[in-house]
Formats: sequence, C-alpha cells, structure tokens
Amino acid sequence: MIELKKISKSFGRHRVLQDISLSVKTGEVVVILGPSGSGKTTLLRCVNYLEKPASGEIAVGDFKMDCAQAKRGDILRLRRKTAMVFQQYNLFRHKTALENVMEALLVVKKMPAAEARSRSVALLEKVGLGGKLDEYPSRLSGGQQQRVGIARALALEPEVILFDEPTSALDPELVGEVLEVIRDIAREGITMIVVTHEMGFARDVANRVVFMDGGVVVEEGTPDDVFQHPKEERTKQFLRRITPEANWVI
Amino acid sequence: MGAPFEIGYVFSFLPKLLETLGVTLLIVAGSLLTGIVAGFLVALPRMYKIPVLRTLSGLYLSFFRGTPILIQLFLFYYGLPELLKPLGFDLSRAPVLFFVILAYGLHTGAYAAEMIRASVEAVDRGQVEAAYASGMTSYQAFSRIVLPQALAIAVPVFSNLVIALLKDTSLAFTLGVMEMTGKAQTLGTLTQHFFETYIALALIYLVISFTLEKVLLAAEYRLKRHEVREEKVGRSFKLRRKGSYRAVLADIDAGKGGRL
Ligand SMILES: Nc1ncnc2c1ncn2[C@@H]1O[C@H](COP(=O)(O)OP(=O)(O)O)[C@@H](O)[C@H]1O
Ligand SMILES: [Mg+2]
Repeated sequence: MIELKKISKSFGRHRVLQDISLSVKTGEVVVILGPSGSGKTTLLRCVNYLEKPASGEIAVGDFKMDCAQAKRGDILRLRRKTAMVFQQYNLFRHKTALENVMEALLVVKKMPAAEARSRSVALLEKVGLGGKLDEYPSRLSGGQQQRVGIARALALEPEVILFDEPTSALDPELVGEVLEVIRDIAREGITMIVVTHEMGFARDVANRVVFMDGGVVVEEGTPDDVFQHPKEERTKQFLRRITPEANWVI
Repeated sequence: MGAPFEIGYVFSFLPKLLETLGVTLLIVAGSLLTGIVAGFLVALPRMYKIPVLRTLSGLYLSFFRGTPILIQLFLFYYGLPELLKPLGFDLSRAPVLFFVILAYGLHTGAYAAEMIRASVEAVDRGQVEAAYASGMTSYQAFSRIVLPQALAIAVPVFSNLVIALLKDTSLAFTLGVMEMTGKAQTLGTLTQHFFETYIALALIYLVISFTLEKVLLAAEYRLKRHEVREEKVGRSFKLRRKGSYRAVLADIDAGKGGRL
C-alpha cells in the first residue's frame, strides 16, 4: 500500500502542493481529478521523486522515507517500487518496443536476457502489440507507443503504477485502445493512481476518486459519491465544466 | 609567375605530396583526441552550470572561436615556452608538432564542447525521466539512453569539425612543419611549377574530405536507424511531431559546430 503524508512542494514562491495526504490500499485504483494547474502532475512526480518534495513522508510497501532527508539510495529504492506512464509516452527512441520493455529488467533488475525477453514479449502480447516487437517508436502510432509505455511499467512489477494523463496526447480515435488496456490491468488488481480527464473511464475503474484544486485535496470518495453527490462547491463547478452532458442526466 | 603550366607535373607531384600525408593525419588525429577530451572538460561545467568553471569555459570558448587559428598557433609556439619557463618547464627543445597539436587540439576543443553540449541537450528530457522512473541511476540513464542518441545527433557536426580541422592543418607549415602544404610549397619553389603543386594538393585534400564525409554519413545513417526515414514521411508524418533530429540539427549545425 501507498501512504503519502503531508507532502508539500513549491516552485519558487508558488506553493503547488500544500500538505497533501493520501493513502492507497493494495489493489486499489485511485483516480485524481482536478483543473489544470491544480498540482496533479506534481503530486505523481513527487511519489517517485522526479520532483523533490520540500517536506512530507512517502511509504510504499515496507519502505518508508522522509522526503526532506532522502538519500540517493532511498530515492533509487522508492523508484524501484513504483512505475510511471507518461502523458508523452517517453519511450526510448533508439530502442525497439521489445527493448523498451526489457531495458530496465536488464539494467535495473539484472534479469537474465532470456527471462527478460520472454516476460517482455508476453506483456507486449497482452497489450496487443505482439506483432510490433521489433518496431521503433517512430514507426508506432501514439496509442501503440502508450501501450508499450504501459507494458514497460508493468514489466517492473511495481507496487504501484502512476498514470499521468495517459491519453491526453492521443488523437481521439486512439484513446479507446489505451483506456481498454488500463481497464484490463485495473481488473487484475494492480494498484494504480491515475490522473485523467476521461470521466466515463474514471467512473468505471476507480475504487476511489480524489478531487484536487489549488494544491489541496478538496474532496474524495467513491466515484458515486464524487460524481453524483459532490459536497464541495468547487467539485460541483469542475464537474459541470468538464462533463456538460451530466446536466442532462441529473 | 614560374614555369609554364604542364599537366604532367600534377601527377608527378601527387606521390611526393602523399609522402607527407602521414604528418597531416597525425596532426588531425592528435588534435581530435586532444579536442574531444578538452571538449568534455569544457562542456561539463556549462551543462551542469557549475559557477566559476562555467565562466572559465565561456572565456575558453570566446578565445578559441574568436581569434584566428594562425594567431593561436603563433601564440602557443612563441608564448607557451615563455609562460612555462618561470615554472621550471623547459619547452625550448619540444618538437614543433607538440605545439601544433596542442593549438589545434584546444581550438577543436572549443567546437567539440559546443557539439557535446548541444547533442546531449537535444535528447528529450522525458526519456531521462522515464529512465529514472524505472529505477536507473544517473550513470545508467546517461550511458544507455542519452549517450547513444547524442552520438547520433553529433555525427553531422563532428563531420564538419573533422573536415575543418583537416583544412586548418594546412597552416602548420607556417611554423616550419613539413606536412602536405609545407611540402607543396617546397616543391613549388624547387620546380617553379606552383600551379601544378597546388592543383595536386587541392586534389588530395578534396579526396580525403570527401571520403571522411561519406564514411561519417554512413555512420550517421546507421546510428539513426531508429528514426523514420524521409521516404516514409508520407505514411507516418503524424508521428514525427516531436523528437525529430532534423529540427534539432537545423538549430545546431552552423559552421564548424554550433552557436556560441
Ligand atoms: N517545473 C516547474 N517549474 C515551475 N512551476 C511549475 C513546474 N511544474 C509545474 N509548475 C506549476 O505548478 C502548478 C501545478 O502544475 P501541475 O502539477 O503540472 O498541475 P496539473 O498536472 O494539475 O495540471 C502549475 O501552476 C504549474 O505552472
Ligand atoms: Mg498535469
């Protein structure tokens, strides 16, 4: 399980995260919603220390660390327990789909090549890319690249996968294939924290929804609580803005 | 203006000039090696924004890029022994080639530094983050993700740099080094067939430059085999929005190797 305690982060004088606490149980899928600039990306990036939090505590599984005094070794351990799927995919462009998935298995986990290969092939087949093993990212569509990104994250068997708007760089017709893959792995009980603007998807897969604004958690609860019966005015406003069709339903 | 033109001299001069090709290539190779080492040392403080060293790097770049190579040669040859004498180093017996290689090497280092910095910075930061996120150390991320791509980006600039260096070495004769241009001058004076010697000399430089360019182009092609090639653009132009090396090169491929 993941436990964030009082995470704070500033850029210059701008306090982007203000004492954020969040706990995620093993197998839980938490969706983070919030307007642009509310600090969602920064929060995810703090969880694997791509951003250095000013203060707070992060616990992942049996590993716990005080952000203010993290050593290099702590940061590596934390990163080896988490994985991230990026908005811009961030595939290694000089490596094929298969090599992208194998890379960290070989380099970080020191897995024998044959084993790394068979695991990577299996994962790429699972995300529907069994026929694209030897393609370079420049020859793959955005949706295919993002599915490689997901396979790369899964390969590491992390305690949690962090998704930062995994579909918002995609052409609309490619969003579905990626959401479907994420839905599949959510059903397998993999712990995930997902930032997304896909409301239908959020309602489907989330065990819990967290609404952030201005660097704080405004409201959290089951998808039903947050989508159908939001308590806070800011949440209501946001939902009206982002899902105009919701007005028709209610 | 010397003896009347006779094409036969061009051919008889070729082998004579080629006898000194070794010296020219020695200067090129020695300077490249020195230059790449110097380039790394100068590029690092600029990439990592290390306060004082960064300013020194800037001065180094300004000097070697802002003064003529001929003057740099003279400054090293006449000035260095004077500068080092009080420190107890006696360079009065050092071979001329030592000064020549040092001067060309440090000169090349200035261009190599910019080549290294621009190529490393051209590798998309997101990939480095992906490497970190999967648990790689910064050394692993650099050597496995950044370096191979930076090398590919650097090749065209490197190619310009080597060819510029090859041509610049023709000035070493001013210090009395018997490389190809020095030899050509001697042959010209001896036979009075100046035009023919310089035709032969130009031919040799041309052939070497051309070969280097083709070899390095092949290397570039190989290092970039992961990028979509031009002829496939029609099919997959949509995927090229981001990360095209060509866009980056348009930015850094100026003169011998990038902007100041
Ligand atoms: N590297 C950075 N430097 C300065 N400000 C940043 C940086 N990254 C994010 N910010 C600022 O922090 C705030 C939160 O950003 P972000 O976490 O990306 O929000 P979200 O993902 O919710 O849109 C924004 O105001 C953004 O401008
Ligand atoms: Mg964001």
